[in-house]
Amino acid sequence: MNTLPGKIKDVSVSGSLSLAHIDVAGNLFSAIVIDTPATSSYLSPGKTVSVIFKETEVIIGTGKEHAVSLQNRLQGKIIEIESGDLLAKIVLDTAAGKVVSVITSQAVKKLGLKEGLEVTALIKTNEIMLTA
Amino acid sequence: MIDLSIEKLLKAPSGEMNLSVQMNIPKGSFVCIYGKSGAGKTTLFKILSGIMHPDKGKIVVNDQTWLDTQNKINEPPQKRKVGFVFQDYALFPNMTVQENLNYALQKGQPADIVDELMELMELGGLAERKPETLSGGQKQRVALARALVQKPEILLLDEPLSALDHEMRTKLQQYILKVHRQYHLTTLLISHDVSEILRMADVLYHLEDGKIIRQGKPAEVFTRKEISGKLQLTGEVVSVESQDFICIVTVLVGNELVKVVTVRDEQHPLHPGDKVLIASKAFNPVVKRIG
Repeated sequence: MNTLPGKIKDVSVSGSLSLAHIDVAGNLFSAIVIDTPATSSYLSPGKTVSVIFKETEVIIGTGKEHAVSLQNRLQGKIIEIESGDLLAKIVLDTAAGKVVSVITSQAVKKLGLKEGLEVTALIKTNEIMLTA
Repeated sequence: MIDLSIEKLLKAPSGEMNLSVQMNIPKGSFVCIYGKSGAGKTTLFKILSGIMHPDKGKIVVNDQTWLDTQNKINEPPQKRKVGFVFQDYALFPNMTVQENLNYALQKGQPADIVDELMELMELGGLAERKPETLSGGQKQRVALARALVQKPEILLLDEPLSALDHEMRTKLQQYILKVHRQYHLTTLLISHDVSEILRMADVLYHLEDGKIIRQGKPAEVFTRKEISGKLQLTGEVVSVESQDFICIVTVLVGNELVKVVTVRDEQHPLHPGDKVLIASKAFNPVVKRIG
């Protein structure tokens, strides 16, 4: 589980859904949750939250510009790769702290990932949980 | 209604600990006391039942003062209407089931309560048996019936089910809930089993180092509501299968086994028996109609 500290920037509400923008070490994250400021007190600008997402939901992109729909992006340097038969664990050092990604070992080979390489971690908006 | 406020300095192997507990329990509640061993749970029961004396405090049950150290009031155990069931049955081995129950009758108390309990707890067929010929579950049913003979107002259950297998446990839970409702008891249960607590208790007190650190409805206490994931399950780790850096964790949630993949955390590894919260976003699961 990846847990990064952040601060709520703004919240847009529609029905029982809220889209929150969170400042995570200078990167703007977005999270969609089935909560509103009325049901969860931490959903208001300025509140400190933790941004939580699973390692297996972290996509790795090489280079800097990615024309994909993913909103949440963190640049970092690979500091550790542990490859198993099928899956590989990649540890990134980012401005927000360490981020762990689990992708297939095949993808690691295909992308030529190795320690020291600068990459971007991408996480879907609906994969982000928030906790006060 | 139980109004309790007690303090007692306890000597534990690890040093001294001050048991300091305040509780306010509405009549008819089913309360669970949860916490590590040595937290003071059993001592609390002993103080409530009068077999142990606190340094100071007050216990008022349904407007009757059982204990008030300031005014030197201390009702003896036999005057407090408390039924007690322990983990180790504590039945008289030389007596039959029927005799064990009869023995609990107070002087002059009509014996019809024994027949009523024998029937309610389905002990009729075991009346002439000695405890040694009974299974663990049967012994605990007898112990539970015996605790109710004197028609207590409060039932204290000190881990009565922890020595039983899963199936027997579920059955005994049903019996406990049955008598709890039938006799309008206020029941306090010490338990470590999260699914048991979620199934049975209205209120949970989490005791640590002699203090109540959390209290509330069990589901709210266990599933810290602050996390935004809407699929939240609590359960107990049954097995952890490690493969490279991945762990396949099998968790018992109610009666269902659930598997979750985690990345191994060297600092905080999971072990069988750990209580866990499984959380996922409402966006992830798929729903399929099965009936």
